[in-house]
Amino acid sequence: MFGLAVRSLRHRTGGFVASFLSMFLGATVVMAFAALLDTAGGSGVDDVSEETLTTMALVVGGWGLVIVLFAVISTMTLSVRQRAGEMALLKSIGATPFQVGRMIVGEAAAVAVVAAALAILPAMGAGRLLLELLQNTDQVAEGISYGFGTAALSIGLGVTFLAAVSGAIVTARRATKQRAKEAMTAVTVEQARMSRKRVIAAIAFLAIGLNCAILTVALFDDKGIDAMQTAGQASIWFSIGLALFAPVLVRAVTAVLAGPLRLLGGISGYLAVENVRRRTQHMAGALMPIILFTGIATGTLYMQSIENAAPPAAGSSIPADEAQAIETLNFVVVGMLSVFAAILVINTLVAATTYRRREFGQQRLAGSTPPQVLSMVGMEGVVLAAAGVLFGSIGSIVTVFPYSLARTGELLPDTTIGIYVGIVSTAAVLTLASCLGAARKAIRVPAVQAVAV
Amino acid sequence: MPEHDITSAAEALRLVQVSKTYGTGDNPVRALDDVSLSLAAGTFTAIMGPSGSGKSTFLQCAAGLDQPTAGRVFIDGAELTGGSETALTKFRRQRIGFIFQQFNLLPTLTVLQNVTLPLRLAGKRADRKRAIAILERVGLGDRIGHRPAELSGGQQQRVAIARALVTNPSAIFADEPTGALDSRSARTVLSLLAEAVREFGQTVVMVTHDPVAASYADSVIFLADGRIAGSLDRPTAETVAERMTHLGDAVTLRPAVGE
Ligand SMILES: Nc1ncnc2c1ncn2[C@@H]1O[C@H](COP(=O)(O)OP(=O)(O)O)[C@@H](O)[C@H]1O
Ligand SMILES: [Mg+2]
Repeated sequence: MFGLAVRSLRHRTGGFVASFLSMFLGATVVMAFAALLDTAGGSGVDDVSEETLTTMALVVGGWGLVIVLFAVISTMTLSVRQRAGEMALLKSIGATPFQVGRMIVGEAAAVAVVAAALAILPAMGAGRLLLELLQNTDQVAEGISYGFGTAALSIGLGVTFLAAVSGAIVTARRATKQRAKEAMTAVTVEQARMSRKRVIAAIAFLAIGLNCAILTVALFDDKGIDAMQTAGQASIWFSIGLALFAPVLVRAVTAVLAGPLRLLGGISGYLAVENVRRRTQHMAGALMPIILFTGIATGTLYMQSIENAAPPAAGSSIPADEAQAIETLNFVVVGMLSVFAAILVINTLVAATTYRRREFGQQRLAGSTPPQVLSMVGMEGVVLAAAGVLFGSIGSIVTVFPYSLARTGELLPDTTIGIYVGIVSTAAVLTLASCLGAARKAIRVPAVQAVAV
Repeated sequence: MPEHDITSAAEALRLVQVSKTYGTGDNPVRALDDVSLSLAAGTFTAIMGPSGSGKSTFLQCAAGLDQPTAGRVFIDGAELTGGSETALTKFRRQRIGFIFQQFNLLPTLTVLQNVTLPLRLAGKRADRKRAIAILERVGLGDRIGHRPAELSGGQQQRVAIARALVTNPSAIFADEPTGALDSRSARTVLSLLAEAVREFGQTVVMVTHDPVAASYADSVIFLADGRIAGSLDRPTAETVAERMTHLGDAVTLRPAVGE
């Protein structure tokens, strides 16, 4: 089966690009930060520098693991779902679920090894830049020399491999649970019910996020930057909770937008509404990264922006130099998250849209002009972007409002709206550009050929 | 049969010296070679020929799904001119209905929504009553709320027939409409097509390689190597099968004569 996995990889490189990219970037980031541990372990490192280096490495490494895990599950699920027919075929010729699962995990493991190996060189460079940045901003002593060794390699490779394999196991379990017949029809007839486990997890994440928000106000009022300990996490957990509810949210937003879309969008609006309704699961997959990106980026960046504008607080236990390290961390986490979210949004939408080539062909044969197809896809994108931005914004509130309250006594932050506009436009442009770009490409094939697959 | 009806006002389809060549490189394939014919409105014509003889190419060129390399195509007196896909689509959805081997219904729409789709796409009112009446006609009056995946192949093909009929097109083109069906469903589908011609005066052009399917038509036109190789009126399965065997001989002889 491992042989089959490698052969299967070679023949469908396209499907693995996104998985590879997230593993590669994840490995690079994690390894670069893990190199700070090697650096901290070097000779002649003072205590303050050592603590800064270690905290950075652990915080970013931890979030890196979560993000890469999420990215791998998401990209692998997609590539497996698109091969539902192939999986069904394998099963029908006698492959056991275990064998199919082993193939999926084998593929992920193979991609992870290559991705992590290729990440070593860029990670060495990135780690060095990171140290220089910390030294230039006086967060780490000048004399410390760069180290890249066992910690970087073992943590970098370990985290990537672990994330890839556990992501693949989750994917494989889902894929093999489907019966052969279901696998064939799952593509067209989707049921949009959420599993109990998922509902419970979603509620738990929302509760944790809310709890962090309450703690921020209750415990850290007037304690300055200390409040970031809970405020920063609040939007992350809350956004994850909302993202897990994506199928429900898609339906809710569709219900609200259905009327206007039909009225203003004509036949394309009508088709867009039907498609979104019948493909809740696909849409939810694309909605999740948009919510996470909007929620966490808005939350974190506004938290930092409020902090930068606020007067120093008497009750803070954190010295100024450490505050700067926290700022760097915030930007790194948001930067990392944005890149991953962008990969996921693009990958999910491009894959899902390209996969509809046949359906677009059928629609064209039924009398759709290319502009009608594109405007339908565009309106589906509008539903997605609207839902993602709306719920992402809600996710960010649990960070922004409590932090502002704790830090300035005002619920609404007195900072620029520019950051928000920037984040929202990025989310909207990413969504629409991915959908429309892929659809344009998909309808370049003559309709008769597009349906002949 | 070909070319004796050109002046008739009730002419549904006319091809004038249509050729189609695939590929431009070293070995271009001449899939259609100087084909001319005229079909009267209200007729049921089968196009037959061995695999690779150009049947699908003929259908695509005649129906405006593909552009011929040379020659002219008229549907209901209007010439199919080269243009953007949008222009061609608008031409097609006014005048042409399609039925494909693989049904090609939209998976996310219900049976009724699939049938009214061509009307909606053309910006017309979706005439539910008419659509339901046609669905009842094809025996699916009780399935209008189902999705294609919930129907058998034969039922899906009947939805496709209803969809083709709903716009009241000048011509319906069917490419191997029974190719994916069991013989029972195939008979139902063929009878429905024949009925559309007899009772509603529809014009149907059907590509097939099955002599039994062809026997439902009023006449058969044979294609070999991209050329018209004869025709047959009031066909029966036996006479068609007979002609097909001879066509096989003709095809094996052709390369010696070739271009
Ligand atoms: N898109 C294409 N590109 C190149 N050659 C083609 C293409 N479509 C059909 N052909 C060739 O044209 C000839 C006629 O094909 P087709 O019309 O599909 O025949 P039939 O439907 O009778 O089997 C065949 O030789 C086929 O290989
Ligand atoms: Mg054919």
